[in-house]
Amino acid sequence: MDLFSLGIRSIFIDNMVFAYFLGMCSFLAVSKKVSTALGLGAAVIFVLTVTVPVNWLLNEFVLKEGALTWVSGELASIDLTFLRFIMFIAIIAAMVQLVEMVVEKFAPALYGALGIFLPLIAVNCAILGGSLFMAQRDYTLAESAVYGFGSGTGFFLAIVALAAIREKLKYSHVPNGLKGLGITMLLTGLMGIAFMSFMGIDL
Amino acid sequence: MSAETVEKAIEKKPAEALFSKRRKKLVTDPLVDDNPITIQVLGICSALAVTTQMKPTLVMAISVIFVVVMSNLVISLMRNTIPSRVRIIVQLAVVATLVTLVSEVLRAFAYDMYKELSVFVGLIITNCIVMGRLEAFALGNKPYDSVLDGFGSALGYAWIILAVAFFRELWGSGSVFGIPVFDYVSGIFGSDFQLATNGLMVSPVGAFIILGLIIWIQRTKTGYVEH
Amino acid sequence: MQQSNGYIIVFSVILTVVLGLLLSGTSQVLGPMQREAEALDKKKQILGAVISAEEIDAMAPEEVNEYYNSRISSIVVDINGKEVTEQDGASVTAETVDIGKNYKRPAEERLYPVFIFHEEGNPEAVESYVFPLYGAGLWDAIWGYMALETDMNTVGGITLAHAGETPGLGARITEGEVQNRYVGKKIYNDSGELVAIEMQKGEGKDYSSDPHKVDGMSGATITANGVNAMVENYLGHYQAYIDSKKSNQAVAAAN
Repeated sequence: MDLFSLGIRSIFIDNMVFAYFLGMCSFLAVSKKVSTALGLGAAVIFVLTVTVPVNWLLNEFVLKEGALTWVSGELASIDLTFLRFIMFIAIIAAMVQLVEMVVEKFAPALYGALGIFLPLIAVNCAILGGSLFMAQRDYTLAESAVYGFGSGTGFFLAIVALAAIREKLKYSHVPNGLKGLGITMLLTGLMGIAFMSFMGIDL
Repeated sequence: MSAETVEKAIEKKPAEALFSKRRKKLVTDPLVDDNPITIQVLGICSALAVTTQMKPTLVMAISVIFVVVMSNLVISLMRNTIPSRVRIIVQLAVVATLVTLVSEVLRAFAYDMYKELSVFVGLIITNCIVMGRLEAFALGNKPYDSVLDGFGSALGYAWIILAVAFFRELWGSGSVFGIPVFDYVSGIFGSDFQLATNGLMVSPVGAFIILGLIIWIQRTKTGYVEH
Repeated sequence: MQQSNGYIIVFSVILTVVLGLLLSGTSQVLGPMQREAEALDKKKQILGAVISAEEIDAMAPEEVNEYYNSRISSIVVDINGKEVTEQDGASVTAETVDIGKNYKRPAEERLYPVFIFHEEGNPEAVESYVFPLYGAGLWDAIWGYMALETDMNTVGGITLAHAGETPGLGARITEGEVQNRYVGKKIYNDSGELVAIEMQKGEGKDYSSDPHKVDGMSGATITANGVNAMVENYLGHYQAYIDSKKSNQAVAAAN
């Protein structure tokens, strides 16, 4: 039940985009068409679900204070948390590369759909943010897997919804200065208000 | 910050005037006409979350200026030795190192700020402005120019987030830099005159709306239209 | 430009070594300062329960340390109120117990630090007992410290902090004005049962006649519920210790 509520929380309440502004760059840049938004959203779910647990393992068995005790008891006092940023981002870049190669080899159709988005994702703040929140909140392995999947899904929902609105927006008269980014920010704000209605739901 | 010291070190061998027209443009262009946030749509991710108040925003802005300038300098110095096939990961490694330095320094000397900014300092790594400037400029230009370019972009970013923070803190908490302005105003006009704060401003929604409006005003002024 | 694999590997190794050395060097140099800053932050929070935030802000870091060392002594107890001096072979001090980490364990296995606020330099002349609190708010963790006066019933002060409550709503628990509402309230009812203190829904009512209720924060009922649960849980966990202190006093009073 706890895992379930964590999943729901990370999708709706702690939504990556509306509550933490993460992944905004690609959120704004790749939300012009629903089809591309679907592709990017799916890639984000995929990469978050993989990288958050992998970074959990890294954090738990290498980086955390006293994490190296499994190698030898003498290493118990070593604290490598200062390497956290660089290791997390390296793992993310490597995982993205790996995923890209695997998908290309075994699922060429999927690669055609996701391929161009994968390199974009290495520098998506939502991915690094997911890992950093995981480390900060001391999740367990199962929790971090659920959290990764949940926040990826939250991002997916947000970007697909925004893309759908922007497709319709083409037929509206938007003031010149507001076209593009301006109106998108206001839209995101309004969508954020909608997502706020999930706030305070006790799970 | 350290940007000045770097600039002074390079000052000694000017082939081109130190602040030639071209170089001035490197700094001033990103402030308004080619602003990284409002025109290029970069770097919105990590910064908006900290703009509920001026103080953390200022710390964030200074950190970003430091990281962008230093990483531009380092990458530009190494630009001829970086193997092109691994350049993204090299850039990430350099940026992540600089961000770790910032975060370690904050943790030692400004622990309150470190707590308040929490993971958002780390997210400077994935701030698109940093990677964007490295890819687009530092990889192909001399160090001094790269420093100026980074400084300009970071300043363009800094003033926008400070502007957002100013309005959010003023309307959301009734204060500026933690000084209660609204209380002061009601002090002048008597206690019947109370200015109400708006809770929406401190929530993420406020940031989106304020930024949207700033973009509107700015683009109307510069005449930039996105198609 | 397409370099050979050998070049790429050599380049990567050199870069890794240089950056690694730079980072570990920084962390070695700054590490002690960071630990000091963290310890100082914790001391400030603990002191926040017994003296006002303005007084703490006015103190320089050395003054905080000095004040803390001369006015606070501490012990660690378990759920049964027994003093704990070591766990898993390592010695335990109250200042280094991580309340957040302990919160993840079952209540029976947690360590419970107690900070005793006493007259300057005289640990016998206790003024109040400070207990840490920890729980969940609306979004994320909330925590704090509550000071009980020597009757083990009256609240001397409370300090609350949060990781991510809504600014302007739930985040108001950090404001002195909200925290002061707790001062003078009682945690036991007349028949000696623990009823703790409940922050009410809605704001602006006067609860000064009810020793177990405090005025709420409008728009932040769930954060308030979190605070209520946290206060009740932790006072419950400390009950054995509180009882032992109470009975001591009863004996002392009888004498």
